Amino acid sequence: MIDVTIVVNGETRRASVPPETTLLKLLRENFALTGAKLGCDVGDCGACTVIVDGMAVNSCLMLAGQVNGRNVTTIEGLATRDRLHPIQKAFEDTGALQCGFCGPGAIMATKALFDENSDPNVKDIRDALSGSLCRCTGYTKMIEAVQEAARVLRSESRNSSHTRELKVTAP
Amino acid sequence: MKAFGYVAAKDVGHAVALLGEYGARAKLLAGGTDLLVELKFAAHGPEIIIDISRVDELKDISISDEGLRIGALVTHTEIIRSPIIGNLFPALADAAHSIGAAQTRNLGTLGGNLITCVPSMDSGPTLMALDAQVTSASRSGLSQVPLADLFVAPRKTSLQSDELLTGIIIPKANFAKPAAFQKFGLRKGQALALVNAAAAFWIDQDKDSFVQPRIALGAVAPTVIRAPRAEAFLEGKAITDEVMAEAGRIAATEAKPISDFRASADYRRDLVAVLTKRALQSAYARASNKVRESVP
Repeated sequence: MIDVTIVVNGETRRASVPPETTLLKLLRENFALTGAKLGCDVGDCGACTVIVDGMAVNSCLMLAGQVNGRNVTTIEGLATRDRLHPIQKAFEDTGALQCGFCGPGAIMATKALFDENSDPNVKDIRDALSGSLCRCTGYTKMIEAVQEAARVLRSESRNSSHTRELKVTAP
Repeated sequence: MKAFGYVAAKDVGHAVALLGEYGARAKLLAGGTDLLVELKFAAHGPEIIIDISRVDELKDISISDEGLRIGALVTHTEIIRSPIIGNLFPALADAAHSIGAAQTRNLGTLGGNLITCVPSMDSGPTLMALDAQVTSASRSGLSQVPLADLFVAPRKTSLQSDELLTGIIIPKANFAKPAAFQKFGLRKGQALALVNAAAAFWIDQDKDSFVQPRIALGAVAPTVIRAPRAEAFLEGKAITDEVMAEAGRIAATEAKPISDFRASADYRRDLVAVLTKRALQSAYARASNKVRESVP
């Protein structure tokens, strides 16, 4: 068994797991975070995408030991109790999800894109989503959702920079 | 996955000592994008996984007297984003960008891609066209060989079981040598190359002719290969579209592709001709733009 300590969605979590445990399994079975999905289990479909130290990765392709001491963000880390994250909201409003199985991965891949590039063009978006396979939507609605989310986030960041001193942020 | 032991190596010395101890009973974990897939399908796990993913001394991109060094653990994403590589060898960034998807490029490493030694790897051709050397470390010391010598057969490198690939070096003499990478897959994203090709050459500015041309091809032979007859044909020739097309046709005769469910051998040979020509044209266009930019 190996001991791992990781920060998941801002919270320090510990587990003792067999060395062959993947990050995906650690999240789902030890930490009960079932947002990241087990799809292909070989790094093709992207349903298991989470963000590790700022980078989108396939959590099925990392061992728990590799993430020891690192920062992980999963889909559960995006929404607050009373508000969806703007990316989630845009996916919902646009109808970018049908069965929804690929959603958590596609949304985390989008989050990682926005962390690098707040104003992506369609080529950037297609590139960022190329590792998130969706068998329902045909991707058109997803790309629209990402564009919509980018608009919302940019306008929010403009507003917040004007009113930062007035705003009290929730913990 | 079948059970295995796990140890995280602290540095190259530690990794080499562990490899010396376990040899073929161990597997090195770098990015894991190929290894974990292999382990999930394996009937028996290795005795131990030596996790080298935190060995920082193998993550550098730096320039020395010898040339440009890229550490074995540099990820494809880091290659794409490196200003040094973007400036000296944009073809390397193009090749890195053609690999997998963002999620795999963020994890997958240059060294890991090379040691898979699959014929369709996208890192190989450009590096081979730029005369890259590979460096390795073992208990017996350090060694350095041309990249071409690393590739022995499909999935078989020249590395010994106690040897760790530490990085690649592109010699200083090739700095900013015009080069380009071309790939044809069945999709734009997440596709294996049906064929890939890289070209690099200097340009005799007075005669506008090829000097020291290199052509390297992937997915058309048991390993990534050079196309020496096409290179010999180009040497000293004036740079024209017809000459570049002829070099492509010659390269196609040097390829030894197989037919499989992705494409037939004939189709792959045709692709070699087209991609070689395009790689030559693209490297030439890149060089011409650079000259234009430098004219005040």
